[in-house]
Amino acid sequence: MIASVPSATLLGVTGQPVTVEVHAGVGLPGFTIVGSPDAICRESRDRVRAAILSSGLRWPSRRITVNLAPSGMRKAGAGLDLAIAVALLVADEQVPPDAVERYAFVGELGLDGSLRGMPGVAPMVACRSDRTVVVPADAHGEATAIGAVDVRCAADLVEVVAALAGDPWPDPPRRGEAAVPVVLPDLADVRGQPGARLALELAAAGGHHLLFVGPPGAGKTMLAQRLPGLLPALDPATALEATMIHSAAGLPVPGGGVVRVPTFRAPHHSSSMVALVGGGSSSLRPGEVSLAHGGTLFLDELGEFPGHVLDALRQPLEEGVVRVSRAAVTAVLPARFQMVAATNPCPCGGGRPGDCECDVAAKAKYLRRISGPLLDRFDLRVGVSAATADDLLGRDGGEPTAVVRERVLAARSVALDRAGVLNAALTADDLEAWAPLSAAAERIVRREFEANRLTGRGLHRVRRVARTFADLGGGHDTIGEEELVLALQLRVAFGGSSRVRVP
Amino acid sequence: MSAARPPAAFAAALASFDLMTMHRLAALLRHHAPDRAWAVAAGHEPPVAGSAVAKVLEVERVRTAWRRSAERIDPDRVWARCAELGLQVLLAGDLAYPALLFAEPHPPPVLFARGDLSVLGGRRVAVVGTRNATAAGRHLARSFGRGLAAAGVHVVSGLARGIDGQAHAGTLEAVGAAAGNPVGRPLAVVASGHDVVYPREHRDLWRQVGEHGLLLSEWPPGASPLAHRFPQRNRLVAALSEIVVVVESRETGGSLITAQLAAERGVPVMAVPGSALSRAANGVNALLRDGSAPALDVDDVLVALGLDHRRLRAPVDDSRVRPRADDLAVYRVCARRASTVGEVADELGVPVVDAAMSLARLEQQGWLAQVEGWFEVSGSPFS
Repeated sequence: MIASVPSATLLGVTGQPVTVEVHAGVGLPGFTIVGSPDAICRESRDRVRAAILSSGLRWPSRRITVNLAPSGMRKAGAGLDLAIAVALLVADEQVPPDAVERYAFVGELGLDGSLRGMPGVAPMVACRSDRTVVVPADAHGEATAIGAVDVRCAADLVEVVAALAGDPWPDPPRRGEAAVPVVLPDLADVRGQPGARLALELAAAGGHHLLFVGPPGAGKTMLAQRLPGLLPALDPATALEATMIHSAAGLPVPGGGVVRVPTFRAPHHSSSMVALVGGGSSSLRPGEVSLAHGGTLFLDELGEFPGHVLDALRQPLEEGVVRVSRAAVTAVLPARFQMVAATNPCPCGGGRPGDCECDVAAKAKYLRRISGPLLDRFDLRVGVSAATADDLLGRDGGEPTAVVRERVLAARSVALDRAGVLNAALTADDLEAWAPLSAAAERIVRREFEANRLTGRGLHRVRRVARTFADLGGGHDTIGEEELVLALQLRVAFGGSSRVRVP
Repeated sequence: MSAARPPAAFAAALASFDLMTMHRLAALLRHHAPDRAWAVAAGHEPPVAGSAVAKVLEVERVRTAWRRSAERIDPDRVWARCAELGLQVLLAGDLAYPALLFAEPHPPPVLFARGDLSVLGGRRVAVVGTRNATAAGRHLARSFGRGLAAAGVHVVSGLARGIDGQAHAGTLEAVGAAAGNPVGRPLAVVASGHDVVYPREHRDLWRQVGEHGLLLSEWPPGASPLAHRFPQRNRLVAALSEIVVVVESRETGGSLITAQLAAERGVPVMAVPGSALSRAANGVNALLRDGSAPALDVDDVLVALGLDHRRLRAPVDDSRVRPRADDLAVYRVCARRASTVGEVADELGVPVVDAAMSLARLEQQGWLAQVEGWFEVSGSPFS
């Protein structure tokens, strides 16, 4: 007897429909899985057999062949366990074929027959929108995140078989809907640092990539962690993409089932290329750049990251996606993130002229680790100085996140109403239209150009930041002297001198 | 002998005695008050038994010469002559006597000074060299004198022909250019009486040094420039200086004696290198070979003095547009230590954009320079 049950597997962050076919026929009793299972998938055999036996069901003593169609595609993970078990029961006539007609099954089996969630439930459910999808009870939250798909859940194989036999499906587990709201660190904790705070506000309002340069202990990480709190909740499309990515990476999805708060990812500088951009397993697990999708990717000790890893960031920065290719498959993973990085100014960390103990060659070598093209992506490059005694001894904190966030949200809506994108994404033509320079600002630009301190690309970036600053201040239409000078000074050239001059 | 006659008058008169030497005068004044010393030298009173003076007076020739001198010389006349020349007579115990000379093995018992004694309190560098200087050497000496004075350093020299005179001529140029601003001044030590100008052609220089700086001599008015007095004079040049710069010197020359005397006193000697083929440079090149520091320009000397010369020179002539009042506060923050725009805003409690504008203006005007986000005070426009 042959049975066929729909299921799905994961590639990158998208589900791929898979049909599980089981043939139970005469011959020496045996159990084979064919159709390009990966190692974990092949181990289904043992899990499924144990689960069926522990659930009090009968193991057919026949020759059983499982085929995962389409057979050319690599199947990753344990998500096909439940579908294989159900198909096997159908083939063995323990479950009638018409009972499974409307369903697709996704889930991993334990040896005792319990159902477990596994990475990628959300995208797998999404690709089976033609069916009612049965998922493990603990994955119900993320399975329903897509909304449009009919989902049933069960805690173990016995419940599934019972429901297929006509019992009602068990109720989904109660979600911690009113669970603890995510508490993000507050800007009020940051004392002093007006320059870095302003840069952070500009970054939040304009979507600009931001580089902090300062000695250890200056608060670079602390500042960066406060960026997500300044950002609005993710828009529905991005939230869904982020949820898919979280699901695919096996990260917990928040109570509501959807990732709404911008994420903050801070990979360590020893992270491998695969960890950062994705790949690795046969499902091509999303990397940190994708996990930061819609949120912030914080690279502390930027100079300590291997050069080839940093260079791999340039494509996602440009296109908003990562294309991970392996011999047989290619996955396109969303990776639209805001980059915030921190670095010491030099090996000794001092930086301040006169205090720095590094010789010129050592300093130049240190800064050379960060490639020019990457450095160029940062619209904002600001120095952060070590905390002063005042900062440490009970000085009042600055404005709280709530106040700054108001301004940021207002500026973002101004920018979005005007051009449909944040200022960081304005093209050169947009800038002509939306960020015209005043006569005084033009004079400064001209002088900077003549002194070889500003390039064409540099000018675009400076204009975008100046546009954001104007938006934060209530939106002058023209970029004036002040906006331009500020933007120039918040984009410090490292490894060379840059000077700003005004009349 | 009037009661109003000051002790210094006796000392000045004693210095004018025939066969009087520095050592003899020192011995006289060491053991007796000046008026008693006069009486002892004149033979009116016996010397302290067993003292150096008693030994000297055993010499018949000296005794006779001194008695005759005492008959010939009137302390009142000597005192009047000193007053006429505008001289201060300093005794080794006087408050005004230069403390710098206390450490001397043989400090001059009497000093005749014309000019401003406060010169002894400033930074002092000697510029000395050969009398037979080359044109290049003379030019160099003049520019050293001018440059040091412009940096506020007093220039010590011996007013001899050649290098010495040129150094002071340069110093006086700087004094003239300073127009009342603080400036280094000339300090000359000469080997003859104040009224015996030697060399003759330095008459004007001699007078101007006294007017604008300080002219010192160990010798009373009327004393002639005897050959043995020059090395003695040189020891004072060395003792009164913090650094001795030798501009040009032959292999044997008075300035090498000065250098030697300076080395004995722990005063650093710097030498201006010259061509190995030039005879006028043999002495300085030898000094360099023996380990003296080279002085290629005034800055080398100022560095050796530990002077931040930029600061001293900046006010003399600075063509930069003066900062606005509100920018000045920003300038001061950066002058204290190099700062970022954020630090300036934090320190002054102003919005970041205001700090940015001030910094940009100050940079444009040349008061600040920015390197990698740090704003520091810009070097003087001279450097």
